Amino acid sequence: MTVVGTILTPTIRAASRKGVFWIIAVVFLVLIAVIALVTTGAKTGGVPFSATNPAPAGSKAIAEVLRTRGVDVSVPATLAGARSALRGSPGSTLFLVDPDSHLDSAQLRSLAALAEHVVLLAPTFSEARTLAPEVGLAGVVGRASLTARCDLPAARAAGRVTGAGSGFRIIDGSADATGCFGSGSNTFSVVDISRARRHITVVGTTDAFANEHIAEHGNAALALTLLGDNARLVWYLPTIDDSSISGPTIAELTPAWVGSVSTLLIIVAIVAAFWRGRRLGPLVIENLPVVVRASETMEGRARLYQKGAARLRALDSLRIGAVSRLATLCGLPRLSTVDDVIAAVARVTARDPSDIRSLLLSTEPRTDRDLVRLSDELLELERLVARDIHPS
Amino acid sequence: MAWSGRFVLLVALGIVPIILLDQPDLLGIWLLFAILVAVLDLLLAGSPRQLRLERELPDRVRLGETVASALLLTNLGRRTIRGIVRDGWQPSAGASPTRARLVLPAGERRRIDTSLTPFRRGERRAAQVTVRSFGPLGLLARQATIDLPGAITVLPPFNSRKHLPSRLARLRELDGRTSVMIRGQGTEFDSLREYVRGDDVRSIDWRATARRSDLVVRTWRPERDRRVVIVIDSGRTSAARIANEPRIDTAFESSLLLAALATRAGDRVDVVVFDRRVRGRIQGASGPELLSRMVTVMAPIDPELLEMDWLSVPSLVRSVTSQHALVVLMTSIDAAGGSRGLLGMLPQLTRKHTVVVSSVTDPSVLSASLERGDRDDVYRAAAAERAILDTTRVSAAIRQLGADVVTGAPADLPPALADRYIALKAAGRL
Repeated sequence: MTVVGTILTPTIRAASRKGVFWIIAVVFLVLIAVIALVTTGAKTGGVPFSATNPAPAGSKAIAEVLRTRGVDVSVPATLAGARSALRGSPGSTLFLVDPDSHLDSAQLRSLAALAEHVVLLAPTFSEARTLAPEVGLAGVVGRASLTARCDLPAARAAGRVTGAGSGFRIIDGSADATGCFGSGSNTFSVVDISRARRHITVVGTTDAFANEHIAEHGNAALALTLLGDNARLVWYLPTIDDSSISGPTIAELTPAWVGSVSTLLIIVAIVAAFWRGRRLGPLVIENLPVVVRASETMEGRARLYQKGAARLRALDSLRIGAVSRLATLCGLPRLSTVDDVIAAVARVTARDPSDIRSLLLSTEPRTDRDLVRLSDELLELERLVARDIHPS
Repeated sequence: MAWSGRFVLLVALGIVPIILLDQPDLLGIWLLFAILVAVLDLLLAGSPRQLRLERELPDRVRLGETVASALLLTNLGRRTIRGIVRDGWQPSAGASPTRARLVLPAGERRRIDTSLTPFRRGERRAAQVTVRSFGPLGLLARQATIDLPGAITVLPPFNSRKHLPSRLARLRELDGRTSVMIRGQGTEFDSLREYVRGDDVRSIDWRATARRSDLVVRTWRPERDRRVVIVIDSGRTSAARIANEPRIDTAFESSLLLAALATRAGDRVDVVVFDRRVRGRIQGASGPELLSRMVTVMAPIDPELLEMDWLSVPSLVRSVTSQHALVVLMTSIDAAGGSRGLLGMLPQLTRKHTVVVSSVTDPSVLSASLERGDRDDVYRAAAAERAILDTTRVSAAIRQLGADVVTGAPADLPPALADRYIALKAAGRL
């Protein structure tokens, strides 16, 4: 047989003509995605307690309400900006959230000294020791809601707030400190400490300040009263750029070629993937038969017997097989009865016919152990009869 | 387009100058260099589109045997083609080697031999040939797939032909070509010849003796020119495998042995493969042509997921022959429920024909019924006994309806069926 073939692989020109729609479509989609990302930004999560973050974890709601109520809210991005904002108008409130401890104690102290009222949300251990040595951290507060039970105006206005956050304990008894929203064993979620003309409020109810929970209980009242007590509010979230710690970067520590070599290695990996991944022509299709073993019905029936504990039924099958083989061995006709077989077997083996009857007919197996024993006895009987009839 | 490991190595070698010269900017230069060299290499590669391909292929092969398939490549382009050729055969065609290296200068022609050892019956196809042609440096390659269909028919193996000589010898004994001359049932008058000492005195034809005034005896030979109709069930139960061989393959083996035997014995053999429609039919052939037509018809037939339509079988047999015939039904008789159609139809056939039902038994069932080591084994043995019992009951029912039953393991069934045929012939029941 001789066959001459035609070419299946399209030429580059034909392939590009065919694929031009898809290339344009993909470029278009990527363009749209980039534009969308640039204009709207990533809205998921964002910086928690940021005055510009409308996500559930942010706090834009409080800042906006304060602005409409005439409070001058400034949101500096850097430590220097925060300093100059505080210096610009003495007697303002500083809202400080620094859960990652970007500022060291000197920076914290100098910043806090510029403000008349410092609201410190969820301070770390070192922050609390620097700014409010009168209180100690008392761990996590897990209550759903907390009641004020104190004379602090903000707490009284709020009444009840969302409880989740951290708690504090007043450790310096001589300090002029007011603890609010107690959750038992001398633990408070809001502690206000007065020092001369200034005062500092340590707040642990973090959930109460987030957009997500601001409308619950008296959360809004607490946040607005605490932050809106002065005409000017400086909302400052330190970032890693404000950190005083600085060292050599990775680029300074490694040789100059490391970047290029790692880029090259990535390119080599991609090239190698295409080298190994390129197929030598399409697959050849073949319809394969389904493999069905004929003994599967037998196996299935065996499992059914076992699952249903059908011992008597199983044993009966074995008995019928044994009886018919015994009848053939003893030379009985095909239509002979079980009684004939029992009598014949008893004669051949010289055993009690009632024994053989109970084995071949009447005994009911109560357990699997009985079943195995009876099946072994059946085999043994067949073997005996065969030996007695054909002694070799 | 495709590229080789050499190209990957070339790109990776860029690490050396970058580290030695400590120049990070070398990365871009090196990549540009590698791409330039590779593109130059690609431009110098011979075009696989300029190939003229031809395939030389035998028509058919017996399952288990090996044939050579040849691929002829002619380079019609102006540049040498160096590269790899893959002949795209289906996996079960058992092609080896599947890839071949090729150096083909312009205007020349090469032959690539592939040996095929198919491991499945039926038609095995080749779809395409893929050629990957590298440039002189072996960096980049042009690749093209060329449609070049090819097909080879894989015939049933007929392994049971090893039983044929012994059965033929027994047939010859029956035929009277040996010295044994027995008069009996199943024989017909052949000729008259002179009496020699040792002949059976009962065969003396006194009338002819009187005419010739010399002792004349009659000779006898087995009846000839009888009809044998083989009906093979290609329904769903024939797909089940026993000892890793589908039932239908065993049926094909048995039918081939029976047909070979019967056609040598002078009988006419017709074969029908049937489930709900006729899947294959061989009629009116004899001698070597019969076997060759049988394997050709059987080769592409696989069992269908259909219930066998037994009700149509009597009319099917009637359409093959109106005379008395030996009808061999190759099916499975595993369960009373599944065999109801067969049992209901049988009286119609046995009224007119001699019927033999042949079925494969599973040797693993027999061994399972004797293995009773633990609890699982005992339950399996019970199920096996039940299966044997079912087969026995169906066999008894078939015998009661006047048909004959031949069962055996896949390897034993073809000779058993052949023996039954010889016995029936000797008994004159054909």
